[in-house]
Amino acid sequence: MHLSDDQLLAGLADGSDAILTELYRRYFPVVLHLVTSNSGTEDDAKDIYQEALIVLYEKVTEGSLELHCQLKTYLYSVGRRLWLKQLSLRNRNSPMQSGIDLVDTDSPVSVDEELTEQEVRDRQFELMADSLDRLGEPCRTLLEDFYIRHLSMQAITDKFGYTNADNAKTQKYKCLMRLKRLFFSVYKEEF
Amino acid sequence: MEDQKLTDWIDKWLRNELTESERLQFESLRRSDPVLDQKTREQQQLATAMQRYGQRVDFRKRLNRIHAELDMDAMRAEVQQRASQQEASVKPLSGRVRSLWQTYRPILAVAASVAIFTTFGTLMMVRQYQSSHKQEQQYSLLRRDLQAIKRSQSVILQDINFRQRALQLNPGQVAGSGFLLSPDGYLVTNTHIIQDADSVYIQSTKGDIYKAKVVYADHGYDLAILQVRDDSAFRAKSALPYGFEAGPSDLGERVFTLGFPRDEVVYGEGYLSSKTGYRGDSTAYQVAISVNPGNSGGPLLDEKGNVIGIISGKQTSTDDATFAVKTNYLFRAISAIPTDSLKGSPLRMSRKSVLAKLPRKEQIKKIQENVYLVKVFKHEK
Repeated sequence: MHLSDDQLLAGLADGSDAILTELYRRYFPVVLHLVTSNSGTEDDAKDIYQEALIVLYEKVTEGSLELHCQLKTYLYSVGRRLWLKQLSLRNRNSPMQSGIDLVDTDSPVSVDEELTEQEVRDRQFELMADSLDRLGEPCRTLLEDFYIRHLSMQAITDKFGYTNADNAKTQKYKCLMRLKRLFFSVYKEEF
Repeated sequence: MEDQKLTDWIDKWLRNELTESERLQFESLRRSDPVLDQKTREQQQLATAMQRYGQRVDFRKRLNRIHAELDMDAMRAEVQQRASQQEASVKPLSGRVRSLWQTYRPILAVAASVAIFTTFGTLMMVRQYQSSHKQEQQYSLLRRDLQAIKRSQSVILQDINFRQRALQLNPGQVAGSGFLLSPDGYLVTNTHIIQDADSVYIQSTKGDIYKAKVVYADHGYDLAILQVRDDSAFRAKSALPYGFEAGPSDLGERVFTLGFPRDEVVYGEGYLSSKTGYRGDSTAYQVAISVNPGNSGGPLLDEKGNVIGIISGKQTSTDDATFAVKTNYLFRAISAIPTDSLKGSPLRMSRKSVLAKLPRKEQIKKIQENVYLVKVFKHEK
């Protein structure tokens, strides 16, 4: 099948696995070529490509994606920036190479805004992951079931074996208050 | 309990689980209650952050699943194809330049650094040389070039005796001052006076000449230790009138010196003007005293008749900026002498001056017997 960029993006927003698979395999060689041409491994290329797809995905689901170029160029440009960042992090220990020059395997467009936004999202993601880790079980699963998987209170009551829904609600309330403290103690200072 | 109810309400509102009337009630309450409003916003932020977290975790899983099923060989083949397409589109020359650049970049970087290093290194060395050269010009060693003086004298003096003519013909003579460190014939002078010497003679104020031997020469402090040796004519004295003061002297201290800018001993007096010497040299004093070539190696004494330094040079660009090596460094130089150089006769110095209460004229009389003209004979180079 051959899908246009728009169709791919629509499928990405819908959460279609088939379209995501098609998108993935269509543009992976672009990033693979870039990373392996610039002292990276295939695994590096995989990580960079997936991060670039996450940028795309989160912009699409937020509804804030404005594509002014081909999807291929967009993914190449984002991947290029991410790989540059990765290289500079790795080279921090060897100051001999201060300026990094990438051999471009394609022509990039400016994606500064994307990268700045993504840094904020990354930070929030890390913070939430850390807060949930520190929250521990069963609070973590309980909150994830309710807020992420959108289970009903009744389903949660049954799953966790609470005697009634009010007990489950009290438990959820206590867990949420703890998470709130953990998350906002850092979040408010930073954002 | 109230708080838990509110939280529950907010959750329901966020999940759109409220009835229409409940929703309107909640929203009007929120507008009138800033605390509830704040709570709602925080809970919404928290819920959104959790959802985004869940979304990304889920998306990553999907990506990994897709990647696991990816035909990597096909991907590699596509990369190959892309690469060869690119090579074809890029002009061969620029491709070669680029690959050369890639290959030799580290070497070029090293070469460039070496070039930069050499350039700045050379510049620095030239500067250093220039400044040291300048220093040499400004810091004149106060030895006397006898030949030059004799020559100028010979113009004035028509009648020269044979001995003087003989001296005149002996090239490379240098003269300075020196003085006794101990009654048994150890003297100190400057290293710059005795360097390259074939033979060293000392001449007393009375005109007696003795042969001396260089026991030790310290180039760092410009101090040399001489010993009158194997000269039966030299009679050891019982004690020296002056002492040696190693402690720091104060600015403004009245000082005087005796030396041989001519064949006759010459007295000069002045004051201590700085505790450091030429260009902040901490091993020397700066003294405002009038000296001339030949004064080098003479003692610098304070009012009580203690030796506080050894005259070593002056700054040519400034009047009355004379430098004297501190006595402290004389002691250091002496302690650095290898014991076998002393041939079993240790160098004993007194720290006590017997001149303290004497008037200056009496002081000078007693000191001058122990100050010598140091004559150095060298081969012509």
